[in-house]
Amino acid sequence: MSHIMELTQPYQWFTVIWWLLIGLFVVLYIILDGADLGSGIFSLFHPDSKERGAIMASMAGTWDANETWLVVAGGAIFGTFPLAYGSLFHYLMIPLMVVLWGIILRAVSLEFHHHAHRSRRIWDWGFGIGSLVTSFAAGVCLGAFLQGFPISGSPVPTFNGGVLDFLTPFSLWTGFTAVIAAALAGGVYLRARFERDSTIYAQAMIWTDRMFYLALAAILGTVLWSFLAFPWARARWIGPEWWVFILAGALVLFATWSMRRASHHQQDIRAMLWLGVIVFINFGTMMATLYPWFVPGTLTIFDAANPSNSLAAFSYSMLGFIPVMLAYNFYQAWIFRARLQSLAAYE
Amino acid sequence: MTDPTLMVDLARLDFAWITTMHILYPPLTIGLAVFLFFAELRWLNTRDEGWYRLTRFFERLFVINFGAGVATGVTMEMAFGILFGPFSQAAGPFFGNILGYETITAFMYEAGFIGLMIFGWGKIGPKMHLFATFNVAFSSILSAFWIMVANSWMQTPTGVHLERGLFLVDDWTAAIFNPNFLTAFPHMLVASLEIGLFFVAGVSAWMVYRNRQGPLFLRTLTASLMALVIVAPLQIAIGDSLGRSVARHDPAALAAMEGHWHTYRADGSPNTNWNVVAWPDPDQGTNAFEIGIPHVLSLLEDHRWTSVVPGLDRFAPEDRPPVVIPFYSFRIMVATGFALFFIALWALVLKWRGRFSVAALQQRPWFLRLVILSALLPFIAVWTGWWTREVARQPWLIHGLMRTSEGVSQMSIPAEILWFIGFFLFDLIVWLGTWYFFGKVVRHGPEEGEAPRNDAPGMPLGTLPKPESDAETSPTFIRPTA
Repeated sequence: MSHIMELTQPYQWFTVIWWLLIGLFVVLYIILDGADLGSGIFSLFHPDSKERGAIMASMAGTWDANETWLVVAGGAIFGTFPLAYGSLFHYLMIPLMVVLWGIILRAVSLEFHHHAHRSRRIWDWGFGIGSLVTSFAAGVCLGAFLQGFPISGSPVPTFNGGVLDFLTPFSLWTGFTAVIAAALAGGVYLRARFERDSTIYAQAMIWTDRMFYLALAAILGTVLWSFLAFPWARARWIGPEWWVFILAGALVLFATWSMRRASHHQQDIRAMLWLGVIVFINFGTMMATLYPWFVPGTLTIFDAANPSNSLAAFSYSMLGFIPVMLAYNFYQAWIFRARLQSLAAYE
Repeated sequence: MTDPTLMVDLARLDFAWITTMHILYPPLTIGLAVFLFFAELRWLNTRDEGWYRLTRFFERLFVINFGAGVATGVTMEMAFGILFGPFSQAAGPFFGNILGYETITAFMYEAGFIGLMIFGWGKIGPKMHLFATFNVAFSSILSAFWIMVANSWMQTPTGVHLERGLFLVDDWTAAIFNPNFLTAFPHMLVASLEIGLFFVAGVSAWMVYRNRQGPLFLRTLTASLMALVIVAPLQIAIGDSLGRSVARHDPAALAAMEGHWHTYRADGSPNTNWNVVAWPDPDQGTNAFEIGIPHVLSLLEDHRWTSVVPGLDRFAPEDRPPVVIPFYSFRIMVATGFALFFIALWALVLKWRGRFSVAALQQRPWFLRLVILSALLPFIAVWTGWWTREVARQPWLIHGLMRTSEGVSQMSIPAEILWFIGFFLFDLIVWLGTWYFFGKVVRHGPEEGEAPRNDAPGMPLGTLPKPESDAETSPTFIRPTA
């Protein structure tokens, strides 16, 4: 393991801290926007315009901030791992473009739906389709990222593969998994946002039940596939730290059981929090498996990092800002915590 | 094998379209946010419901614009890595950090408060709401600050050195407060205020013109135009100093903006002609035709009657920027700036003569018609200003250090064309949608006699539940039947 540098230099600590923080931004994005995207997928299967409007109204105050975590993650990667940013984004050009189209379509639909009358139906569909496309393409990005990509050249290595390198059975599978997982998150979120006697709540109950088993199967499939396909993952999981991953698996199982239990008891907020915990542990396990790779088999964290001076500058000025950012986001979510009546969205 | 120049030009075209369609929104976001803060402050101080209604009305326009800005802005951030990968890697240590600052300190900050501002009416106290509005305005200005740092640094890259293909930062202060930034940021900030104020003035003039709640909108019409009497000439003055800063730090860009080929005339005296119109002939290294006024160029750039202004003949042909776009967009921008200044002056004259009432203005509709038109002019000024700035910077991506051709991603032509078509359609839809809904909101007008309400109209956000009984004690297993 000669490529792993000793963590003796303070700036290498910064590099690791920033890598963890970017992971935090991404997982926050997945947890928060996953629920919003999933609600969009849910709305595709429930074609009642009024209810769709209610779903959109339920995230009116928060969707923008939730989506912004993706931009924050992108900006932080640009700032702290510019070498990865330039090559990774170039490699993921097509799926990222699709993610962007989805996000734009969704943002515009959410924005315009409220003002529209005749064109409202278009924005209903735009919201649903935009959500579906975004979650699928984002899942494809994650799968393609896990596969790594070829880079070459010096002094600065750049991506030298083809535009369609990202497209593999595995990345399509992760795209599909992402849609299922988002659909589950969306259902759980809607149950927490609507009155228990509303139609949306009843539909979301049926929906989450179905999606739960689908998501379980899809995620287990992804784990198994990764185990078989990626030597770096296999080596880590059955290597000397095997007990960490067993423990993580046990925690996920416990959280899953707790979530189901909370769901049955109609403790919807609790169920939503447990789902967040599940995603968080899963993502953390993925990060632990990845270390020291930034992009597996392509770039280590230390290869991709910004040379020390500016990373340190970025850190000193930003680390204080992150708790503040989390605080006002939490405050915002707290203000908009009230449950809605499904048909009360528009008079 | 792809043709490298075509690849570079397509990447530039893609990026030009993405940025052109993005810059329509943020300046208006900034200008309107500042306006909204003052309008809301006015309402809280006077408790006059008219100001409340005006605030809520312009806020609706603000929201539409903000959503469009976010949708197009996310695209831009990704476009750096996708279209200009090598540039992103090399400039990452500085440029990436600055964009990182922007997303964390400004963008997220704004997103955190905008939901409170729009949907928080009645959910949070009036002081907290004003605080949220203030933060939206402040964070949007911060956002402009960082973006202008990044862009200006590409024009005047100070405080870095090149090492193993990366621009490493030696001096953060010098890099952030680079020479170009010191005038470019005020220029952009004042442009944002101007665009916001003219937008408010234009919408208000429309309402007065159509006699819909005229007295109410006369307030915003007066307030915005009187502020513009100061802002518009200030913008022209800042623009002049920015021009001189460009002349000092990037003479090739200035020569391109002015279509200025020959440093000296044929008789050996300094060429100080300022061209009103010209058509360049890059192969011959001169203008095919030009109409120039002597001495104006040196007056503009040096504030002296005669001085040497380097022409394009001082630069190697491969270092010369294109001339046509900077030359004409620069002239359109300046003409627009002066036109806006005269509109503000006309308003001042009317005010002085006591003709600034609903009845008097409606008797002389030409002034109102002109103000309505003036809501569109600042957009043209912002577009042409940025086109001037970005095209005159060519062939450099980072001035004097990295050429555009070195910073572009190696992409296939079909991929770039696909990109262009996709974003061309999308940005166009967003743009048309934005204006369509602006029109809708304006036609709808402010809520007549709307009392300060507790929630956003037509969007009740639920009521807080009664404290839930802990269901742990009595499990009710609800199995879905379907």
